[in-house]
Amino acid sequence: MDMYTQAAWLVPLFPLAAFLLLTALGRGFRKAGALIGSAGALAAFVLSLLIVVERLGEGAVDYNNAIDWIAIGDYTLRIGFEVTNLTAMMLVVVTLVSFLVNLYSAGYMKNDERITVFYGYVSLFTFSMLGLVLSDNLLSLYIFWELVGVCSFLLVGFWYTKPKARAAAKKAFIVTRIGDAGLLLGILLLFWYMPDHALDFTTIQSVFDGQSGAITTGITTLIALLIFLGAIGKSGQFPLHVWLPDAMEGPTPISALIHAATMVAAGVFLIARTYDIFQDSAAAMETVAYVGGFTAIFAATVALAQNDIKRILAYSTVSQLGYMMMALGLGSLTGGVFHLFTHAFFKALLFLGAGSVIHAVHTQNIHEMGGLASKMRVTAWTFAVGALALSGIPPFSGFWSKDMILTAAIETNPLLFVVGLAAAFCTALYMARLFFLVFMGKPGSASADAHEAPAVMTAPLVVLAVLAAAAGFVETPWNGWFGSWLSGEAEAAHGSGVAIVASIAVGLLGLYVGWLIYGKGGVSRKAAAERAPWLVKLLENGYYADELYAAVIVKPIRTIGSVLMVVDEYIIGGLVRLAGIATAYAGRTAARLQNGQVQTYGLAAAIGFVVLVAAIVGRRFWP
Amino acid sequence: MFEGASFTPLTWTDMLYLAPELALAAVFLLLVAIDLLLPNKFGRTSIGWLTLAGLLASLGLVLWRMLDMNQGGAEAETIQLLANSYRIDDFASLLKIVFLAGASLIVLLALGTVRDDGEITDKGEFFYLLLPAAIGAMTMASSGNLVTLYIGLELLSLTSYVLVGMKRRSALSPEAAFKYLVLGGISSAFVLFGMSYIYGVTGSVDLAVIYQALPAALADYKALVYVGFLFMVAGFGIKIAAAPFHAWAPDVYQGAPTPVAAFLAVVAKGAAMAALFRIMFGAVYFARTGEDADVAGDIFLTLLVMAAAAMLAGTTAALRQKNVKRLLALSGVANAGYLLVPIGVSITIVHSSSFSEFVYYLVAYFFMTIGAFAVFAVVSRAAGHEELKGFAGMYYRSPWTAAAMVVFVLSLAGLPVSGGFFGKLFILFGAANAKAYWLVGIIVVSSVISYYFYFGLVRQMFMRSGAADQPIPVPVTAGIVIWLCAVATLALGAFPGPLMGWIDSVFSIGRDLLFVPFS
Repeated sequence: MDMYTQAAWLVPLFPLAAFLLLTALGRGFRKAGALIGSAGALAAFVLSLLIVVERLGEGAVDYNNAIDWIAIGDYTLRIGFEVTNLTAMMLVVVTLVSFLVNLYSAGYMKNDERITVFYGYVSLFTFSMLGLVLSDNLLSLYIFWELVGVCSFLLVGFWYTKPKARAAAKKAFIVTRIGDAGLLLGILLLFWYMPDHALDFTTIQSVFDGQSGAITTGITTLIALLIFLGAIGKSGQFPLHVWLPDAMEGPTPISALIHAATMVAAGVFLIARTYDIFQDSAAAMETVAYVGGFTAIFAATVALAQNDIKRILAYSTVSQLGYMMMALGLGSLTGGVFHLFTHAFFKALLFLGAGSVIHAVHTQNIHEMGGLASKMRVTAWTFAVGALALSGIPPFSGFWSKDMILTAAIETNPLLFVVGLAAAFCTALYMARLFFLVFMGKPGSASADAHEAPAVMTAPLVVLAVLAAAAGFVETPWNGWFGSWLSGEAEAAHGSGVAIVASIAVGLLGLYVGWLIYGKGGVSRKAAAERAPWLVKLLENGYYADELYAAVIVKPIRTIGSVLMVVDEYIIGGLVRLAGIATAYAGRTAARLQNGQVQTYGLAAAIGFVVLVAAIVGRRFWP
Repeated sequence: MFEGASFTPLTWTDMLYLAPELALAAVFLLLVAIDLLLPNKFGRTSIGWLTLAGLLASLGLVLWRMLDMNQGGAEAETIQLLANSYRIDDFASLLKIVFLAGASLIVLLALGTVRDDGEITDKGEFFYLLLPAAIGAMTMASSGNLVTLYIGLELLSLTSYVLVGMKRRSALSPEAAFKYLVLGGISSAFVLFGMSYIYGVTGSVDLAVIYQALPAALADYKALVYVGFLFMVAGFGIKIAAAPFHAWAPDVYQGAPTPVAAFLAVVAKGAAMAALFRIMFGAVYFARTGEDADVAGDIFLTLLVMAAAAMLAGTTAALRQKNVKRLLALSGVANAGYLLVPIGVSITIVHSSSFSEFVYYLVAYFFMTIGAFAVFAVVSRAAGHEELKGFAGMYYRSPWTAAAMVVFVLSLAGLPVSGGFFGKLFILFGAANAKAYWLVGIIVVSSVISYYFYFGLVRQMFMRSGAADQPIPVPVTAGIVIWLCAVATLALGAFPGPLMGWIDSVFSIGRDLLFVPFS
């Protein structure tokens, strides 16, 4: 009956096989890259789809299968996979976006000489991400969590001849590392306090859900916050968001796959997976909500003043991930996961559309573009769908998920409701700005000989546009199907007239203001820059977060570092050298024994024996 | 005939129990005849294959007997022949499996590398002499009696001396054989001297009788008991090349043909370990209670001190080594130290898995050592010398063989994910459970020092450019050995559970090792 569900462990193996095959083939087979990579992702997608279809019916039970991996003493470490409706949904999202990105890259990366390596990395990433999703315990999730980090590092720095790409790759790795350290600490604490040191999600759920009191509230809060720290790093939440805009140095399909749809959502997924821990601690829930809300508004304002098409979308991603966190923090698991689901489609669409634009105009500065709509019809139309979905205009998917989050906010926390609305307004505004500057108006300096991308690139855009438009209907204020499917409990229809009206109003208002400034030209574009140049400057530089970190964290650490280096050089280094010299001396003495004389060997054995006996037995007879 | 033991002659049924040993002996005699009668113009490769077939047949018989005996679970009866002088129990069977599998892999390796080695003149003998050596090792593992044990030891030693000297056209080989003979003679003398004292104070050579007689002997002749056991320990210490008795190992390994060096490192060392294990837990262990408990404690402590000395001496001496065979010999010294730890830490209520730890590490050690020797054999054949720089740039010449070597080096250094990692980890846990924290410290320190020279090998393979740039030719049989060992090493690292579980399921301390129910 659950045939496909039981075979879910096969899903990650397809991309893994693709990765191994590509690595074994080497760089020679340029054509094979796209073919093998796409085939691996497609096979994984088909199986994932079958799993979801199988689980659509009533009462699909969670399926878990694990084997004993290592037994040390009484403790057994089990490794396995678990299919719940949440993981099944993630499987489909990851494999679908991965497949489309594979397809798209066949056009986008066509002329790159390391295209086979690129596809190898993408397949490895897909494998790791699927492994993360399927993991049935925190330990193997953590291993895959690090593995997707490594793939992200490799792909951000894919064009490693560019110094900026190298720096961005390093930054992405180090900044997320801070979060990962938190996550690891959280896992260790959990390991320490859990009954039987269990780390699998089923046990975690039963321990925390049952209010068994096995773990005190203080420790629960600490564990939850440490896990959240991991999510902050991975999902680019304030204050660890600084790596995500820089990561846009990677190839654009990668930005769509890793830094918009899948990996950055892993933080949200992690919290959804360990939601029972968070629900046990009101303090942790509030922290998640406020950090998420603040990130949402903070990043949305920064996006207003960016001039690089990919950086705008990157800050937008940060902001939308903030929405998801806010939803989780407000207690709406469905809202957060639902927004993750719709966001994956429309943000991947926007990134791939941006890639199509960059492919045509060879610049990322939106002021050098313009009037592209007439030259790139498919890209423009699909981008418009993505922009409307992101701006929360009905009936596009983003509206439904954002509305659900705002409804959750208005019911529990009016302050965050206002913040969410303000962020929604900014979102609509910067998307209008982006769309009008790039696709409308007079052709810019770079758009002279732009032309539409090949079909292999536009086809994924169309597929994603359909999904971005329609995916929201799985969960509407009058139909809670998605929520009840996800949680396994019947959810009442919900919805708040105020939230719907307000959300539509700010979305339309944002678009209208954007149109006034950048479309119609009724309001001077320079108005803001003339009246408050400092504000524009502040936003352009992302509130100087990077500079602040450089001054407050990096520089003091460097100073401490140089002091420590002196200590290291003369004191530690001295000790190490001393140990080295002593070891080398011991080695020399041992080597001197090897003089080839068999008499010496015999003598050494005899003396060794006497010393041994004298030392061990002698102490008994010595008075 | 000594008092208290009755002699029952061997029956035909008993002969059936000895089938694995007898099969080897039969194949051996057959091959001697074939080698004599076969005209010189025929190659001796067929003798190699027949040797392999004999070893595998014997392996099959051991396995069959063992599975047959264990149908009733771990508490299965053991078989004792000739008044407990020859024991067929799971202790012996498990080790015999290791020895026979190791010898088979070594023959397979030799089939690839010995054929065109001009320095080895008597290729037929080279192969079939491994058979009596294997019988010797099996006898040592099976013996429940000091005399049987000594016969096994001599059978193994004498054939090994000849095998080491097989490279007749090389100057180093006969020299190595001579040194091995002299040091081996000292070793046998120590062992026999110790045994005679034990017989003198207990009146028996049967381990089961010895442990019963020990308390009385201790009361009267404490010093003589010390002498007896410590001489035996030192004698076996020479055989397993534990410090301070290891000085011969680098010279002998260097001079011996590479497959023989691997045989000494794995089978000969393992057999001496097995004998030590039997003596320590068959006799000494029981003296640890009662009035003179400190004597048994001291003998166990001697083993641990030897282990610590071997780890430190092996790793520090290897730091300056440029010759790969000498390096592997010294690595074998350090590994002898690790293997001595589970023998030396006494079994207690909280820590009773000494034997599983021992066998697990022995199996891991056997795969990684034979694998490393196999890679070395093909590398030195291509380079024409045995220096470390023969590995230079190997990754760029033969990436797959280099990858296999990386697996062996990782395992030797005890890094995850490899058999060596879990082997060392289990031993470390064992030592920690027995509260021997000083030993834990030494295991860690020596492992860290060993990274330096193990990674010297990796550095050569990846970061140096070699003199030649054509691929290293790998004979098919050597390739099979390398990949079997690499896959097994990785498998032991990824899934340590099944092997550990299987050993625990068939092995029972009381019946298989201690001769009496363990309480």
